[in-house]
Amino acid sequence: MSVVEGKTAGAGDPILVVRELYRHFGGIKAVNGVSLEVGRREIAGLIGPNGSGKSTLFSLVSGTVAPDRGQIRFDGHEIGGRKAHAIARLGLARTFQIPAMFDNMSVTENLLAAAAEGHWQGARDRAAETLALLTLDHVADNRASDLSGGQQKLLEFGRVIMRQATLILLDEVTAGVHPNIRKIILEAIARLREHGITFLVIEHDMEMVRNVCDRIIVMDAGRVVASGSFNDIVRNSEVMQTYLGRPQ
Amino acid sequence: MKQRRTGLLLLIGVIIVLALLPMLVNNYWLRIATGALMWAGLACSWNMLGGYAGYINFGHSAFFGLGAYVTALLMGDKLAWPFFATVPAGIVVTALFAIMIGAPTLRLRGAYFAIATWAFAEVLIQFTSVMDFTGGIGGIGLPPFLDERFFYFAMFGAAALTYLITWALFERSRFGLKVKALRDHEPAAEAIGINTSLVKLQTFVLSAVTASVFGAIFAYWVTFINPKSVFGGDITDQMVVMVLLGGLGSLWGPALGGVGLFVVNRVIWMYWGDTAFYIAILGAAIVLVVLFMPNGIAGLFSRDGAKSGAVLDKAVGKVVGDGQGGPN
Ligand SMILES: Nc1ncnc2c1ncn2[C@@H]1O[C@H](COP(=O)(O)OP(=O)(O)O)[C@@H](O)[C@H]1O
Ligand SMILES: [Mg+2]
Repeated sequence: MSVVEGKTAGAGDPILVVRELYRHFGGIKAVNGVSLEVGRREIAGLIGPNGSGKSTLFSLVSGTVAPDRGQIRFDGHEIGGRKAHAIARLGLARTFQIPAMFDNMSVTENLLAAAAEGHWQGARDRAAETLALLTLDHVADNRASDLSGGQQKLLEFGRVIMRQATLILLDEVTAGVHPNIRKIILEAIARLREHGITFLVIEHDMEMVRNVCDRIIVMDAGRVVASGSFNDIVRNSEVMQTYLGRPQ
Repeated sequence: MKQRRTGLLLLIGVIIVLALLPMLVNNYWLRIATGALMWAGLACSWNMLGGYAGYINFGHSAFFGLGAYVTALLMGDKLAWPFFATVPAGIVVTALFAIMIGAPTLRLRGAYFAIATWAFAEVLIQFTSVMDFTGGIGGIGLPPFLDERFFYFAMFGAAALTYLITWALFERSRFGLKVKALRDHEPAAEAIGINTSLVKLQTFVLSAVTASVFGAIFAYWVTFINPKSVFGGDITDQMVVMVLLGGLGSLWGPALGGVGLFVVNRVIWMYWGDTAFYIAILGAAIVLVVLFMPNGIAGLFSRDGAKSGAVLDKAVGKVVGDGQGGPN
């Protein structure tokens, strides 16, 4: 399968366009010329072996890390190199691979903090709804650091919900969590999607990729090496063996 | 809910006692109470940035001293401003310096900020020591005003205001949510739209200007200041210990730590006539608190007081860089 560039998957103009994006850390070419697009209302899966640059790509798009060069266009704005908070305010939200809790704040405060900038109206009601949706209501007053790993993933997902974003980047949200929690997250994604929200998700669980993603982007060694439907990717045994191992 | 009502009743009780205190005690004890209120307020002031935002300020005396010197200079023979007009002037000067120090350094890891604030206080000591207009090492006098009650109520007002601002801004508003979020995880705070550089700077300026108000009242109260007496590093040291003892990032802990340590200081002075012993106590207190009571006195009363030093961890992490800055 060839390198796929500029494939338009969703209807209308893509919500996210990345062109020739680079970010090296010393000698490590973490992101080494990535180009990709994500269409509106699409759920795109980003897969690839460990160290292939997926999380770094998220950090570049969300402004957490500044790119060396390249272009990032989000919802009509040129955002490459902008501050993370400015990009977030344009409607982009992300999770971190290692849950990024506000440890000394309560679960409710973690959610409210996500609404402190821009969406404060009715934030308390929305926090209560989000807690119920994610079944975190019984730990609402606990400190975030006291939550289990799975609950922390839920809480971080909850913060993303509170952002009322148009594009959500999820970095391995279901990795290592109990099947019950995974189910809650999947249901929440489905709900948000009904509201027209676009997702780009990093996932290792091929079952989840198959069930949830409309399209899959494969990264290796800092580059996009393939893109297509789940079946396209699975049929390409070369990609499967090199990058994913056998699914079943 | 019940706990909250107890807290409120306690607060009202404290306010009533403090308001009536001048009628209950003699001038000697009133002076001690005035000093206790000043230190309680200064501890709260340091805690705004150190406790709520997790940025350690090792030169907070700079802002206390700026307030003191601005008031002293403006009240001098040449200008002869009324006291209350000098306070806002001190606030403006302090805010400008805080922005100058904070804007470039608060973007970086906390260590740069800690060094910059410490160096700034040292520079001010040197500067005021060599300059003629500040009276050099000899210092500068103010027109004496010997109404102990005035100074008591001035410190009481300033301390109450500092406490109220802390409560309203850091415990009861979205500004406080932003500050605590950036303390606990800066990249995640940025990712939810918080302009962390700006919020840190705002907190720093607020912390600095409250300290300057206490400096202004202090200068007028003691009628004579010199570089060491208002910029000295021991002033910052005391604030830090008071906050650690009371509880970093807690609302009432630092105020209690301020009152407690100052009263100990005065009692030692009363019985031994010097305070070298107090310095030793201060050092020992730091060690003991960090080792055995990292959440301070306030931690003993909070539900999760057992959780050792989580806020302290964040602040220390910002200074030494614990990798929390990493995005993944
Ligand atoms: N902040 C950083 N400093 C140095 N190297 C980094 C940094 N972030 C990521 N890397 C390196 O970049 C490569 C890609 O990492 P990452 O984006 O986390 O991959 P993935 O998420 O696909 O597993 C890895 O070799 C990783 O060690
Ligand atoms: Mg990763």
